[in-house]
Amino acid sequence: MRRTGAAALALAWLAAAPVLAHEPIIAPLDYEPPAAGTYTLEHILRAPDGEVLDLDGRPAPLVRFTRDRITVLGLIYTTCIDPDGCPRTLPIFDAIRRQAAASPRLRDHVRLVTLSFDPERDSPAAMRGYAGGRARGGPVPWHFLTTRSARALAPLLDGFGQDVRVDVVHVGGSRRREISHVLKVFLIDPGGVVREIYDSTFLHPRTVLNDVETLLLER
Amino acid sequence: MILMLALFMAGVLGVATASADETCNSPYITKLIKGQEDYVYVWTLGVEGLGDGSDKLVTIDVNPKSKSYGKVLGSVSVGTRGEAHHMGLTDDRRFIWAGGLAEPKIHVFDIGTDPAKPKLVQTIADMADKSGYLGPHTYYALPGRMLVQALSNTKDKGGVTGMALYSNKGEFIASYPMPTDNGGDGYGYDLAVNPKKNVLLTSSFTGYTNYMRPLGELVKDAEAMKKFGNTMVAWDLKAMKPKKVFAVPGAPLEIRWSPKAGDNWAITAAALTSKLWLVKEDKGEWQAKEVGTIADPAKIPLPVDISITRDGKGLWVNTFMDGTTRYFDLSKPDAPKETYTKVTGKQVNMVSQSWDGKRVYITSSLLANWDKGGADNEQFLRGFTWDGKELKPAFEVDFAKEKLGRAHHMKLGARSLKSS
Repeated sequence: MRRTGAAALALAWLAAAPVLAHEPIIAPLDYEPPAAGTYTLEHILRAPDGEVLDLDGRPAPLVRFTRDRITVLGLIYTTCIDPDGCPRTLPIFDAIRRQAAASPRLRDHVRLVTLSFDPERDSPAAMRGYAGGRARGGPVPWHFLTTRSARALAPLLDGFGQDVRVDVVHVGGSRRREISHVLKVFLIDPGGVVREIYDSTFLHPRTVLNDVETLLLER
Repeated sequence: MILMLALFMAGVLGVATASADETCNSPYITKLIKGQEDYVYVWTLGVEGLGDGSDKLVTIDVNPKSKSYGKVLGSVSVGTRGEAHHMGLTDDRRFIWAGGLAEPKIHVFDIGTDPAKPKLVQTIADMADKSGYLGPHTYYALPGRMLVQALSNTKDKGGVTGMALYSNKGEFIASYPMPTDNGGDGYGYDLAVNPKKNVLLTSSFTGYTNYMRPLGELVKDAEAMKKFGNTMVAWDLKAMKPKKVFAVPGAPLEIRWSPKAGDNWAITAAALTSKLWLVKEDKGEWQAKEVGTIADPAKIPLPVDISITRDGKGLWVNTFMDGTTRYFDLSKPDAPKETYTKVTGKQVNMVSQSWDGKRVYITSSLLANWDKGGADNEQFLRGFTWDGKELKPAFEVDFAKEKLGRAHHMKLGARSLKSS
């Protein structure tokens, strides 16, 4: 039964691949992950809570977006240009969303969240522009969130253990903000516990969906 | 038996314990210092009657442009003496985790707030209760977590041990025993990850009853001398399950994956047999193969630490007994060739290098009860420059004269890594 689930995921992956022709190519995974359900995802930490803003600027507690479904949450800032950083999450989240939506087993159990850690620049309007058509509804919701201020953001960053450093540099008389961080994407179970933290070395639709399947098999 | 006799004849034995530097950090640490480092942090064993006698983290200025170049900037004592040994950086490089082999304590130092002035912010003391393991050795950053390889256990203090996983906040998550079946001896030492291949490699040393024992006694105890690790293990990293045990005789210690993109091999040195081993995927399966000899094994040189260059084409090897630093050409990793040697101390243990390979740092201490005695018991950090041909002395800090202790593991630091 477990292997059937993994095989179905693999098939979904292959079936979806040609649709990606217009999107950045995601390199194939260089190993065969263990079959879903044959391994344990540890309880790493409890996902934090705090006030966030949706695309309309409406405040809500973050837990509204990290409970009841399996959540894949990426912390980003919209002006990041590091190819191994924030921009990397978009095509991968696209692939996760598409494959999860194509799977009757997954589609009702998964959501995606993109949360900015640059409230100064990433207003709800900026997040809307960043999200584009991705913000439209669908069987697998994808929420784009920001915060009101650095103060509102701080407990979320601390809770996730996300290191963000903001430097203000002056170039030719103009002030420029530079942000350095380590890319982290969090897999959160329906109870709000972080069960995996991906960095750029192994963030891949196959690894994430395999882990999602593993969490589903815990039930 | 011959080996035991040789060890006995040698009079002193040093089997090091290590895991170093900028080219050898966890692949999950992205903030590598690729320019000039400003600091070397030295995790230092306390010595009774020397200073406060406690283990401490010593910060040394290593920027040649600084007025205090080659000087001690400060030290942070942990207030106890627990056989300080190794340390590791968290994935965000804001903290150093450091521990001692004599106790199950892990000390966490904040190096992000002010890299010039590390601060002790937490001591994790539940490893023995939660995991049953003793002697935390390797601290290996995973995203948001720290995987700690222990050397021993609290039941019999032998070499059968395991790994403990903690969150970056210091909360225990899980433990993983080293395999004792399918050829596994249950021993542990170092660990190293290749995330692109989902592989974790581990190596094996010995337990508390051996590493805390006076060396003179130990080498005369035939039964005790049998209790050294002879294996490496390839694990499925995601599942944290052992996949294959390799027979690697003679205490394989530090493990270094080649940092070069596209390379998928690791190298290690077996201390007691003085051999280099290559771990590589072949025909769809990971294999371990003896690929070279370090000095003359009959003379028991005891390779104790290795440091790989960032292009994977060179390897520094420190041999404790003859106080020699050696360079191996790794252009052909299955046929390493020694191309340079230099005596760098009466006893040498750890070797670390800067990312560009131009600066090499060496420390002296192995274990409190295994270091040499008398005039041979030098305790130092020595900095060298390397131009590809010659190691040239640049500075030295005398840890005895400075009343610091026995200089052991090193990590590099930089002012630019200050947290906001």
